[in-house]
Amino acid sequence: MEPLKKLLAGLLWLWMSAVIAGAFLYAPLARGFIGQSSRILFFHVPMAWVSFVAFIAAGIWSLRFLYGGRQPRHDRAAAAAVELGLTFGVLATVTGALWARVMWGAYWNWDPRQTSIVVALLFYGAYLALRSSLEDRDQRARLSAAYAVLGLVVAPFLFFIMPRIMFSLHPQSVINAQGKVEMEPRMVQVLLAGSAGATALFFWIHNLQCRLAALLERNSAPLE
Amino acid sequence: MWRDASTWAAEALAVFAKEWRCEFRTRYALNTLGLFAFTTLVVVSVSLGPVGVSTSRGTAVLPVLLWVILLFSAAAGLPRAFVQEEETQTATALRLAATPSALFCGKLLYGLTLTFALEILVTPVFVAMTSLDVKSPGLLAAVLAAGGFGLAAGSTLVAAIIAQARSKGTLFSVMAFPVLLPLLLIAVELSRGAVAGDPAGVALLQLLLYDASVTVAGFMLFPVVWNP
Amino acid sequence: MVTGGIGWVVAVNLIIWTGLFLYLLRLGTRVRDLEKKS
Repeated sequence: MEPLKKLLAGLLWLWMSAVIAGAFLYAPLARGFIGQSSRILFFHVPMAWVSFVAFIAAGIWSLRFLYGGRQPRHDRAAAAAVELGLTFGVLATVTGALWARVMWGAYWNWDPRQTSIVVALLFYGAYLALRSSLEDRDQRARLSAAYAVLGLVVAPFLFFIMPRIMFSLHPQSVINAQGKVEMEPRMVQVLLAGSAGATALFFWIHNLQCRLAALLERNSAPLE
Repeated sequence: MWRDASTWAAEALAVFAKEWRCEFRTRYALNTLGLFAFTTLVVVSVSLGPVGVSTSRGTAVLPVLLWVILLFSAAAGLPRAFVQEEETQTATALRLAATPSALFCGKLLYGLTLTFALEILVTPVFVAMTSLDVKSPGLLAAVLAAGGFGLAAGSTLVAAIIAQARSKGTLFSVMAFPVLLPLLLIAVELSRGAVAGDPAGVALLQLLLYDASVTVAGFMLFPVVWNP
Repeated sequence: MVTGGIGWVVAVNLIIWTGLFLYLLRLGTRVRDLEKKS
């Protein structure tokens, strides 16, 4: 790796270590939470945020593919973003479920946010299912790009608008009636730092995945 | 410009008319949808018991069942709009003859009319069979219209995408479900409100906003999906 | 298993970060090897 990349990678690891330390040592516990369980938030929220970023990134790369000359690298980038988004999304769902068990006694209760993330995961899965059912490379890229752009429309609604609607229509929901967490400044700092670090992590892994995909494609089709 | 617009509209209407003409030749979609919806209705009504269900349970459960019937009926009937073109190999002719956006509009109108026809048929029968006391029928009608629109718009676009793939049946459900689910959840909640007599809230507007977004995305993406 | 204690939070973190580290290591090595080859 070139020295600049090594430096950036090192900085990222330092940043994330600081976030982890901050989550355990620097930030206070949230009020109304059981014991130390609120610490998981500092990891759960950034991962959920990244899965949203992945959605948007996949959509934007798909747009670039469709209207920017149908370059294969944009298609590869979109697919890699979806795969990563799925991974982060699964992690966010699992950490969320573990936390829900501690807080409210049940791993799952279709809380609006849990519902949203599951639908997002289904969307990612559908994208990958579509890709695996199309063999022609150009057709696969074009059709999955179209679906990802549709995802661009669906994502903000899923992540931000729908939970609010469901909360306002379900005021009698016993679980977490407001869906809000009171946050002290230190908590906000660690959360934002964690989200920024996780986003950087996403793009770093994404870059590696894209390079790998490009290399594999080149190695398996040397005559093209 | 107005002449172009009128030819565009003429194209869209021609596609729409063709869809219904073909449909009436075989009546396949109407029969399948009708039978499916009716069978599900019977199952629901019979299993709820002869005396029906208490009001509180009714308000909670019945709107869900209504939308489940509508969702699965739509999933059974709407994809055919594009899948059939590929299977009967008339797709090539369409690609040559029609402007993509006009084609999409025609197919969308067909999907809309089919969905609304389904709703008009199913809902009164459903309400009667389950002795559901709907306190705000106007709101229910509005929710059915908005939700039905979204169902049709989302399904038409996804149908266009999967028509060119293998294993179309399962792939359609897999791909359409995440797009339609947000719509459905809100529609169910609003329907519950309509049964209980709550006034319409901002949620209805947001449902319409979602419908509009999906429709615009459909118009924008269809040319890319349709033409290689 | 999951209580108010800090145990499970630490465990989850250990799994995630170790897994991530190992994965990145493997990915980085693989990319470097392939880039060296071509």
